[in-house]
Amino acid sequence: MELLQNLALGFTVAMTPANLLFAFAGALIGTLIGVLPGIGPIATIAMLLPVTFHLEPVSGLIMLAGIFYGAQYGGSITAILVNLPGETSSVVTCIDGHQMARQGRAGAALAVAALGSFFAGCVSTALIATFAPPLAKVGQSFGAPEYFSLMVLGLIAAVVLAHGSVLKAVAMIILGLLVGLVGTDGNSGGTRFTFGITTLADGLDVATLAIGLFGVGEIIANLAQPEEKRDVLAKVTRLWPSAEDFRQSWPAVLRGTGLGSVLGVLPGGGATLSSFAAYALEKKVARDPSRFGHGAVEGVAGPESANNAGAQTSFIPMLTLGIPGNAVMALMIGALTIHGIQPGPQIMTERPQMFWGMIASMWIGNLMLLIINLPLIGIWVQLLRIPYRFLYLAILFFCAIGVYTVNNSAAAVLLAALFGVLGYIFMRLDCEPAPMILGFVLGPLMEDNLRRAMRISAGDPMIFLNRPISLGLLLAALVLLAMVMMPNFRRGREKAFQEP
Amino acid sequence: MTIQGNRAQTRELLARKNVLAGLLFMAIAILGLWLSRDYPIGTALRMGTGYVPRLLCWVLLGLGACVLVQGLREPPGGPGADVSLGWRPLVLVAASLVLFGLTVERLGLVVAILLLTLAGAYATRGRGIVETLLAALVLIALCWGIFVFGLQLTIPVWPEW
Repeated sequence: MELLQNLALGFTVAMTPANLLFAFAGALIGTLIGVLPGIGPIATIAMLLPVTFHLEPVSGLIMLAGIFYGAQYGGSITAILVNLPGETSSVVTCIDGHQMARQGRAGAALAVAALGSFFAGCVSTALIATFAPPLAKVGQSFGAPEYFSLMVLGLIAAVVLAHGSVLKAVAMIILGLLVGLVGTDGNSGGTRFTFGITTLADGLDVATLAIGLFGVGEIIANLAQPEEKRDVLAKVTRLWPSAEDFRQSWPAVLRGTGLGSVLGVLPGGGATLSSFAAYALEKKVARDPSRFGHGAVEGVAGPESANNAGAQTSFIPMLTLGIPGNAVMALMIGALTIHGIQPGPQIMTERPQMFWGMIASMWIGNLMLLIINLPLIGIWVQLLRIPYRFLYLAILFFCAIGVYTVNNSAAAVLLAALFGVLGYIFMRLDCEPAPMILGFVLGPLMEDNLRRAMRISAGDPMIFLNRPISLGLLLAALVLLAMVMMPNFRRGREKAFQEP
Repeated sequence: MTIQGNRAQTRELLARKNVLAGLLFMAIAILGLWLSRDYPIGTALRMGTGYVPRLLCWVLLGLGACVLVQGLREPPGGPGADVSLGWRPLVLVAASLVLFGLTVERLGLVVAILLLTLAGAYATRGRGIVETLLAALVLIALCWGIFVFGLQLTIPVWPEW
């Protein structure tokens, strides 16, 4: 009954008026950016990091988490009504969701997406509450060599499961690790890559890098291509799905939730991978696959449940081991460190209020999202009419002021501009910037653990192979890398991210 | 092959995404190695400041070379064959941030946001000056409301005379 006690503690934290307000704010902002194409959760969370600096840590985390899963709800609205993915995780929802809308079943598609997401949110919150404590116990038994190997595995897996070239993704990770080194070396006191600039002596912070790469980079990328024509299907009639829709979609919701929950926990997993995999699964198990692409309700129910489940279970490795599986989780770790909280398995025992409060708030946030989404659909549709040329000025402004306030340094804004240019160039060269953030956040932790491991073993690198857990983790990383090299697996991997 | 043919071929190769990405990674690695040339390396047991950075730079150099080779071996006219950059937004968006960063501390928020909006607005075509000024006004009000009034941050609002 420890679980119930813990959850009760969580709900007392999450139900305070302030935290309810921040959960609501997060859900609302999340839906907003989910609805609007051209701005994603990574950039938004990065821009709001400075604001959380002034909040209680738990309130800040509650709000940031709300943005992440709120974006999964909002993304489906744009996908269904406009045939544009509001988020990358709702790319597949466009296929059948928009067809449903064309057939006059927009209301049903939206309701199925929201209800499926809510169901998935409830299940994955329960999963986090159940599986986080034992995992954290495992994490606590790890020493420096095990941690180092775990991070290696995490980074490799993140690359293998993400889309795009593995080679380039590994290079981006290394680049992130290098950028993470900028500043004063905690061990020897020497400075690295500071170019003699005092601002850099303390190192770069994750908000500057993320706002530059994602916020500014995305603005440039969006402006460089002609604005998409948006045909908003405004007529949303009958929000309630028919009995037939219900009958067809509930098994898909169950499958999507299960698949998303599993894929979310994996490094590199999360919302996007989950939704693509769920769509493929639905098509495979369907009795009549030809219905897909012509408004099959399972094609909405499965991926939408999966992306929300995946978004939420990706918190598990971050909360229990301190290891980020995707860029959003890397920013969450950044938010923790801003408050001086060392991420890792000790969080649960040292700060139970924060840990359980955040989990409880996820369930509350999902309930709020259901309410925000369905009745207010008209308002979200109106927002889609704001042209991007107004929007980007506001985003640009928030980038500038965000970077300035988090560092209290004007030089940081110049750095963000530099990272924005780099981010755009990398995007044009098909180098995903997300692994760079992972490397950046994990870099200092890896170096620290590497040093400690070397001290334990008196400089013998064999320590990573002599310890069974560490060896197992490294072998798993090796197997993953070997799998990518195999042509069969590579084809399957490429197929998984293609629009069916 | 003629010299002109060679030149065209080189240009085609240099426009490939993987070739450019590989060269970029290698350039960054070489820059890193050059910058860390004086950092003490130390030993695995007592790592100096330069141990990890130099290690990473060498790995990045290797990876960059692999990406480069991959790009050179692609058949011509592949999916990553041509890279074009949107120079106008690239330059103007970056410039607007630089302007903001250079002015915010001395000239205050109002001027900095005005400059940010003006430069940023020119990143797209076809927008009137009235519209832009209106947008700047809204953003200034928003900024004051959230950061100066709401969060009580000490940011200079007006120029210091």
